[in-house]
Amino acid sequence: MSREGRPKLSLYALDRPALQAFSRDLKALFLADDRPALAALLGLGPDFARRLAEGPRAVDWFLRPEADPEAGPLFASLRRTAKKRALAPAWSSDEPSLEGRLRHFELLREDTALASLLDKLLDANRLPWFLVRPGATSGWLPEAKVEELCRALRPLEASLPPEIVAFSRALRETEGDVLAHDLL
Amino acid sequence: MGFFDKAKQLFGLGGAAPDEDDAGEAPAPGKGGGKRDRKDRPPLHDVPASHGRTVEDALAAREAGDRGEARKILAEIDRGKGLRVVLRAAAALEDGDEDEVKRLLPAVAVEAEGWKLLLQVGGALGDPARAAPYVERAVEEKAPAWAIAWTRAVSKDEAERREGLVELLFSDAPLARTVAARDLAVPVVVPEADATERYAAFAHGRDSIRRFGAETVATLLMRARTNPSGAARR
Repeated sequence: MSREGRPKLSLYALDRPALQAFSRDLKALFLADDRPALAALLGLGPDFARRLAEGPRAVDWFLRPEADPEAGPLFASLRRTAKKRALAPAWSSDEPSLEGRLRHFELLREDTALASLLDKLLDANRLPWFLVRPGATSGWLPEAKVEELCRALRPLEASLPPEIVAFSRALRETEGDVLAHDLL
Repeated sequence: MGFFDKAKQLFGLGGAAPDEDDAGEAPAPGKGGGKRDRKDRPPLHDVPASHGRTVEDALAAREAGDRGEARKILAEIDRGKGLRVVLRAAAALEDGDEDEVKRLLPAVAVEAEGWKLLLQVGGALGDPARAAPYVERAVEEKAPAWAIAWTRAVSKDEAERREGLVELLFSDAPLARTVAARDLAVPVVVPEADATERYAAFAHGRDSIRRFGAETVATLLMRARTNPSGAARR
């Protein structure tokens, strides 16, 4: 993949109660197998709503791999809706190298508490399944931990590469809980 | 066991079975010992009949209608713990061999502690009404959400199955996809590498119990959990 084609990390202000509410609504509709309501929640057009109505269970569509051409658009609608309900774009890095720097830059790794916060921000296991994409980097931090991370990064800025400095500044300017994602 | 034996076993071509209780591995021929002189090799002793036999062999014997041979295999391979002792005791219970059941019950009681065997039996039973007491006890034993959801996801009842699958997706998505692909054969869904080890660890016991006959194992399990006589804990 070319440098230009490589994904770049973005930060979003996360409305956690809204994301939790969306997750609850989604789960309730899957449990009830209420496909018209599910299609409405995801804002599906008539063609995709018809597709969702096929098969024994609505949930089966979302167990398929994203690469499946029939399920792919349904995943995209699901993520778009989740994003609309709970995420506000805050900043996008210009540098594809940012993730690698955050994971491996020696100065950051020397401080175990700081490194642990960065790892949490980039840990997809802590996100709801519908925001996790295969091969993508994603994660989130609650507000208190974001502040902790900002406090740890700021004094190091003079010694950090420009992409991490830009990340550190953007993090300070993003209010509340923060979600990081490079393919949303 | 050598590489080719393992490979053969993986592809169903025979070969000796791995020892389920033994993590160690014999060094491969030609490694570490230099070139060996075949003429100096000590004479081979007779290999005991139990060597290489597995739970799979016992289940195959039962399925071929030879319950006696199945019991013999289970007795040979039993080391007093794990699935083997449970199936050995269940086979004795089925044959009315009360002396053997009483003798094995303390070891079965140890296996019956916790939630795992309860949910494996619940999953093997399939019928939600029959599985309910086992699932309830597993909940009391603090079974994780994914394990309970998985047991519900393989229920024979469609609504129960759907709810289990949804709960599993929201508690452990990679496992949900693996269960959907392997247990439910949902079209287009593929197992996830992240979850296959956990899947195999739990599913082997459940599937073996199902093949053996879940009702007998269920009866044995409840007896081991409730009957203190002959079930002294370790």
